[in-house]
Amino acid sequence: MSLTLAFFAVLLIAAAVGGTAYVRAKRLRAAGRLHSLPSYHAAHGALWVLAPALLLIAAWAPMQGMLVNQALLATPEGQALPQEPARRQAILQEARQIANNQIAGGFNPESNSIAPRVREIESRYSTLGAIAVILAAIAAGAFLLTRRHGREFRARTAVERWMKALLLAASMIAILTTLGIVLSLLFESLRFFQQVPPADFLFGANWSPQTAIRADQAGSSGAFGSIPLFWGTIFIGAIIAMIVAIPLGLMSAIYLTQYAHARVRSVLKPLLEILAGVPTVVYGYFAALTVAPAVRDLGLTLGISSASSESALAAGLVMGIMIIPFVSSMADDSIAAVPSAMRDGSLALGATRSETIRKVLLPAALPGVVGGVLLAVSRAIGETMIVVMAAGLAANLTVNPFASVTTVTVQIVQLLTGDQEFDSAKTLAAFALGLVLFLITLALNLIALGFVRRYREAYE
Amino acid sequence: MSSIAADLGADTRWTDEAMRARLRQRYRSERIFKLLGFGAVALSLGFLAFLLVTMLWRGIGGLSLDFLTASDSTDPATAGVWGALKGSFLTIIVTMALAFPIGVLSAIYLEEFAPRNRWTDMIEVSINNLAAVPSIIFGLLGLAVFLNFMHLPRSAPLVGGLTLALMTMPVIVIAGRNAITSVPPSIREAALGVGASKMQVVFHHVLPLALPGILTGTIIGMARALGETAPLLMIGMRAFIAVPPGGITDPASVLPVQIFLWSDEVSREFVEKTSAAILVLLVFMLLMNGLAIYLRNRFERRW
Repeated sequence: MSLTLAFFAVLLIAAAVGGTAYVRAKRLRAAGRLHSLPSYHAAHGALWVLAPALLLIAAWAPMQGMLVNQALLATPEGQALPQEPARRQAILQEARQIANNQIAGGFNPESNSIAPRVREIESRYSTLGAIAVILAAIAAGAFLLTRRHGREFRARTAVERWMKALLLAASMIAILTTLGIVLSLLFESLRFFQQVPPADFLFGANWSPQTAIRADQAGSSGAFGSIPLFWGTIFIGAIIAMIVAIPLGLMSAIYLTQYAHARVRSVLKPLLEILAGVPTVVYGYFAALTVAPAVRDLGLTLGISSASSESALAAGLVMGIMIIPFVSSMADDSIAAVPSAMRDGSLALGATRSETIRKVLLPAALPGVVGGVLLAVSRAIGETMIVVMAAGLAANLTVNPFASVTTVTVQIVQLLTGDQEFDSAKTLAAFALGLVLFLITLALNLIALGFVRRYREAYE
Repeated sequence: MSSIAADLGADTRWTDEAMRARLRQRYRSERIFKLLGFGAVALSLGFLAFLLVTMLWRGIGGLSLDFLTASDSTDPATAGVWGALKGSFLTIIVTMALAFPIGVLSAIYLEEFAPRNRWTDMIEVSINNLAAVPSIIFGLLGLAVFLNFMHLPRSAPLVGGLTLALMTMPVIVIAGRNAITSVPPSIREAALGVGASKMQVVFHHVLPLALPGILTGTIIGMARALGETAPLLMIGMRAFIAVPPGGITDPASVLPVQIFLWSDEVSREFVEKTSAAILVLLVFMLLMNGLAIYLRNRFERRW
């Protein structure tokens, strides 16, 4: 609370310092030529106040939590708390939420009783932090204002240096995110592999992650063989969905770029792009509500008694439809990149348009199309909601499209949405699955981007 | 040429029956091919129409003022989407406030300032790859970093917005870079010529000209974030929330997750509720995409 106040105080101080610098610079300019505009002098002053104070707030906020915990554990109430780290952690967290009025009462009785104490210590530390922050802001502002900048002071250069640092910092976020993904997945997966041998996970054909509640129950160990999951993922995302998406997407792209009139295209293309804009949860609901029963009935009429209402076919079909605009726009790009001399030459020799497309344009555009298809596969196997809602949970190793299979993403959702303590093999398995999924899509993306780049270079 | 002549015989004329049959055959396959192409487009659009009509038919009866202003409830008769809408709104605000500035600043850095070196390559590769990472992976990242490491509140729009911001940011960077490259170099040279600094060139001239393109990409990215479900399930935004959230740290649900939760309900009446909620979501998506298309058509300049 005090930190928020301190934040606004810092803004005020920055405005004051900036304003003073502005007025001074204006006065200097009235006397003669100035290197930088007064507004740059103002920005320079404000930045000098803001940067250290905001950095201090950013550093203080997480530190405060640790300090409060330490101070609390030193009090008599804190020492009476249970010694078991996990339980103590839970109580402390709950007490903090009560103290901040986020929840009315705690699940643990202890957390209710120590909440007032937490509030007291927290307010003490946040006042301390706020004072430090405001002092830092005032010190920085005073330091700046005592250094009377002359007419030659290059405020613009200084401000631009700050801005360039800001730009660089913004672009670092992407690297930090990638690093965060890799590290968090890797870290949790390593903990998983301490409990389950990697070979069992990668090559086991039996997936049943239900660990028992009581230790003496049957099947308490759980089985984490991921082969059926990966088969299901490939079956739905890379086989069934692609059988739908590649011909439809490719032919749509060909029709729209080669045959349709410009006016027809300007209507049909945005309409087709709506398919890509429909949220996946809508596709999932549609698949579960309409497509899956139809597919099951079709299977039953065909005499397949095992036809499931959560068939791989239904999920794959809908996923394929979702991918159509993606394949279509990638194919569109690669066909458009083929030099028109090749197309004109073929037409001039007397080939019909379809002959030109099939024998000249498509072979020339093939690397680009293949790259696009690989990207589409990478998107399909990472797709979650359609399969969560329309595909099953049973880990079957089957090639029957009417049977139920499960996928990696379904299992990740399944493993993490139950009420489980975080350290069980079950929840950690989700991160191991996520790691493998990440690596597979990364490989697909890199190969696909390589294809597209090499293809583009070939015609430039 | 000679092989065709050999096939048809040396003295073939265009009027020969064999030649005409061959031409007919070629034109027929031409027509079939064109028809196949049209069929592919028609089939895709037919599916879209089928989906929309199904949702309309099932959900239109569930749309009412009460449905829009009530919050989630276990009783299908009184359940509504207001709480979820508010959650979605707060989440998108957080996403936008983070992803837009960071995305635009990174795009500016990469296009205008970054030196050609290994470090820049690394940034580019990670942005291009992040744009294609499955969304559920971002959910795992959010769970591990924001919830388990930083102990931010579960189910809160703050965490949802942070997670979606990381997911949307690469989309904005890529759109922003395309928009910035399409500003012709003559603009930059003219500004540099009258004495502007590099930073002034970018912020006074290049960025305003590129802004429509950047905004189009941003709106499309935001629409995607608005419809996203899987990463939010990972960070616990699937709890039953009967009270609309008051701020970004309160437990909340979002519209797509609400749809997912209702679709799991056994009661038949929830089918209507789910379809009605889907209609609300689709209206928002269409509005955002329509705005993006309008911006593109209205402000896009061909240099």
